[in-house]
Amino acid sequence: MRPLDEKETTLVFNKLHKFVGSNLKNIVLESQSHEGPDANPGRYCFRLQKNRVYYVSESLIKRATNVKRDKLVSLGTQIGKFTKAGKFFLTIQSLNLLAANAKHKVWLKPTSEMSFLYGNSVLKGGVGRITENIQVNDGVVVFSMSDVPLGFGDAAKSTVDCRKMDPNGIVVHRHADIGEYLRMEDDL
Amino acid sequence: MGKKKQKLVLPPELPPEVPDEEVEVSDEDVQFVKENLEYAGFVSNLDTHSITKHVTRVADANEEALESLYEKRLKKKQENKEKEQNALEVDPVDALPVKTLDGQLYYRRVAKEPKAEEGSKEGESISKDPGLVKLTKAEKRAKFKKLRKEAKKQAKEEVQQTPQAEVLDEVKKDLTAEEASESKKYKLAELGTALLADPESNIKHIKEMLEVSKDGDSAIVILGLKSLLAVFKDIIPGYRIRLPTEKEQEMKVSKAVKKMRFYESTLLSAYKAYVQKLVALQHQTVYKRVAVRCLCTLLAAVPHFNYRDSLLAAVVKNISSQDDVVRKLCCETVMSLFTNEGKHGGEATVEAVKMIAELVKAHNCQLHPDSVEVLLSLSFDEDLGKPENPDVDSRAKNKKSKKRKGSDEPNHIPDNERKKVRKEMISKTREEVSADFKAASYAQDPQERRRMQSETLSAVFQTFFRILKHAMQPGLGANTMPGASGSHPLLAPCLNGIGKFAHLIDLDFMADLMQCLRKLAGSGIQSGDLSENSCCQLTVSERLRCCIVAFKVMRNNLDALNIDLQEFFVQFYNLILEYHPGRDQGEVLAEAFKIMLCDDRQHDMQRAAAFIKRLATFSLCFGSAESMAALVSVKHLLQRNVKCRNLLENDAGGGSVAGAIAKYQPYATDPNRSGALASVLWELNLLMKHYHPAVSSIASSISTMNTSNNQVYHSHVSPQQAYAELSQENRSFTAPGDIKRASNKRKKGNDSLPIKDGSDLNLMDQVDENEVRKKLTEHFLLLRDIQENEKLRSELDRTTLALNLYEHYKKQKKRKTR
Repeated sequence: MRPLDEKETTLVFNKLHKFVGSNLKNIVLESQSHEGPDANPGRYCFRLQKNRVYYVSESLIKRATNVKRDKLVSLGTQIGKFTKAGKFFLTIQSLNLLAANAKHKVWLKPTSEMSFLYGNSVLKGGVGRITENIQVNDGVVVFSMSDVPLGFGDAAKSTVDCRKMDPNGIVVHRHADIGEYLRMEDDL
Repeated sequence: MGKKKQKLVLPPELPPEVPDEEVEVSDEDVQFVKENLEYAGFVSNLDTHSITKHVTRVADANEEALESLYEKRLKKKQENKEKEQNALEVDPVDALPVKTLDGQLYYRRVAKEPKAEEGSKEGESISKDPGLVKLTKAEKRAKFKKLRKEAKKQAKEEVQQTPQAEVLDEVKKDLTAEEASESKKYKLAELGTALLADPESNIKHIKEMLEVSKDGDSAIVILGLKSLLAVFKDIIPGYRIRLPTEKEQEMKVSKAVKKMRFYESTLLSAYKAYVQKLVALQHQTVYKRVAVRCLCTLLAAVPHFNYRDSLLAAVVKNISSQDDVVRKLCCETVMSLFTNEGKHGGEATVEAVKMIAELVKAHNCQLHPDSVEVLLSLSFDEDLGKPENPDVDSRAKNKKSKKRKGSDEPNHIPDNERKKVRKEMISKTREEVSADFKAASYAQDPQERRRMQSETLSAVFQTFFRILKHAMQPGLGANTMPGASGSHPLLAPCLNGIGKFAHLIDLDFMADLMQCLRKLAGSGIQSGDLSENSCCQLTVSERLRCCIVAFKVMRNNLDALNIDLQEFFVQFYNLILEYHPGRDQGEVLAEAFKIMLCDDRQHDMQRAAAFIKRLATFSLCFGSAESMAALVSVKHLLQRNVKCRNLLENDAGGGSVAGAIAKYQPYATDPNRSGALASVLWELNLLMKHYHPAVSSIASSISTMNTSNNQVYHSHVSPQQAYAELSQENRSFTAPGDIKRASNKRKKGNDSLPIKDGSDLNLMDQVDENEVRKKLTEHFLLLRDIQENEKLRSELDRTTLALNLYEHYKKQKKRKTR
């Protein structure tokens, strides 16, 4: 377990910034954990362990130092992975963090929820609601109509273009969805 | 030329019976005159007037000899001259007759004299003209032009020397000034009534009236203008006058048509002079209001008539005048133009809107709000927007023809070919007929109307976008005027307009428009963040309006896609804090509540909770009307979002729904990040003790809503209504004695029952009053009893004390004596 180096930090922050925009500072600086016996609440930080990036509270980090590096399976919330090639991608476990801070959202109609959870992209016909001012390639968090976060992805079309599209056009390219907890149980 | 010869030759031997057609001019003669044009020059110097007179005399006394006639002629001429000098004072040039295209002769003198003479003269001249032989075209045209020019000049000169004027002048010397003006007034009245009684024959009076209104006395001028206005309003025909072209004038026409043409041209020239005069007069302060009023009335009454553009230009120019009366008049006129499009077929609308657009451009958006407000009264026919049946037809036709072609080509049957040709012929003729019919029928072409409408729309939106863009320019507004509302006077009506016509905006503009609105709505915050002076300062109301307009635009255009206006919610969330009851417009705030919070169907739970919390806090510190509106929307939100009713529970923290933020952060700018679900709506408890009964009752009704109760309340009151009701009430709501009336009103509003229970309420009122009176009297009686008792008791105490003292003293005395 170690803190991220500078290159890794920029990669992670860039990725997060795509989804949460200026709310990134909420995630990194302002959110406070009330874990542990300390009187003053600590912050959350990012830690790298076996190519996976975790979002951990400071008090947990202190206690996790007691565990040997190769014996430590996981700590805090995993938010993403570095690939062998050195790229970073967000995994589905980061969904809660993203959903709470998301800039751009898409709400799915109940009929198309299942399709999304099986790993398909979001089509225009399935969109129940969409935030204004989404640009192409912005990070979008996908919700059900009852505000349950379902996954996230990339915007394929801007909000303005969405209006003119036919119902079968793709609005959001899927990155991850909560169906993965079942489908890819072993890889997570 | 023939005519002239005829005139020379005819007088002696003209018997009235001889029809003029029989007089023939030989070709040789014509040839001769053509070759020797100089010889004909003398003709122009002829005193045709006297000649005709002479001729008429000859006609009357046809038995007399030629010589005696010539002798008489001189005498008569002199006599005539004398007469004319008495009556007319026409200089010799003026004696020349005006000849119209058809060879009819008009005498200037006639034009100025009472109609009685005119009739006979006209008859004479008309009786003669069939015999007149045509001049060569070129010559005639030249001559005609010259004559007309002269006639115009003369008309002006002569108008100043009308006999009446001269007579009046003489009279004036005798009369005092007042009497003169009085007589002028009478004259105006006479002329006006004569005109109204029979406009066709009395049309010449109009010039006299114009003359009178050139007077030096302003009162007379004003009267003249007004009476002319009345006359014009009445006699202007329901069509546009088109002066006959030269070709048409050359054609021979019947007497009636000629008369009509004369009437029309006179009317038109007088009208032109009148309009020009009005336009000129409106720059003088004395006449400004009168002139503008006349212009406005004319424009409203006869928008179809000639010179509409100059009328419109004058009116539109005054639309943002500093003078309230003038501006209001002009605005009303333009509005009536917009609303009664049937009168002018929509052309005036297009022109007016374009002119307003120009005006806004020219003044760099620094105008009175009224000038854009008028655009709100425009109405657009939405069915026209769609391409109508013709297109479908043509498409179908194309298809058909294609099909036919397809079937033709493989077969190649000559019969078919012939049929095709015939069919084409038929369709061609049919098209021609329909085109003719269209031209003939009065109904307007829908395509034409569509074109006009789109032109109007584009001009309107051009104006609106220009204003928006201007408002976006940094620094400009702040520099020109310190008053925040003064810097963008046009913004508010412009935003209203965009909201109203939102459904007509092209989708392509939408992105830019939203961008613009977003910037404007967030202008206050940005200026705080970036640099104080860089961004323009809009008032809270204006920014609220921006939010409202954005929602309206979205609502009207996006039936297919439901777009969540996250950023506008954020702006609104922060704007609520900046609202000041006295400074900003409560109506706008109430409208924003209605449109953004109550009408929007879906909300994030977090956002809804944040708004509920903020509105509750907000209603603690503002006036009763605003808090009422806020509470009504809180109620709406709570009814719709069941989970948010956790706020009503007594434990802070929000339990499972609280989300990531464990503590309420009242200063968060983003409603989603405020963690409002972790808080408790303690404000309601305080609001239940609000001084205004309506507010306290709604607060208690909200707090009794509980989480388990899923029954849907239907409150029919929108925040706007609530606001309006209370703000009206507020004016009368002063003493606590009014509480009962107010609560009655609230009951009515909440029950939303028909008014039939009004009497019951009154009855109850009376019963209540009696009861209260009884109770109060009891209460006060009791109080008085108690007070009296106390008084008595204290007296008793005092006396017993005194008695005690006395006894004590006695005892001591006894002891001493002992």
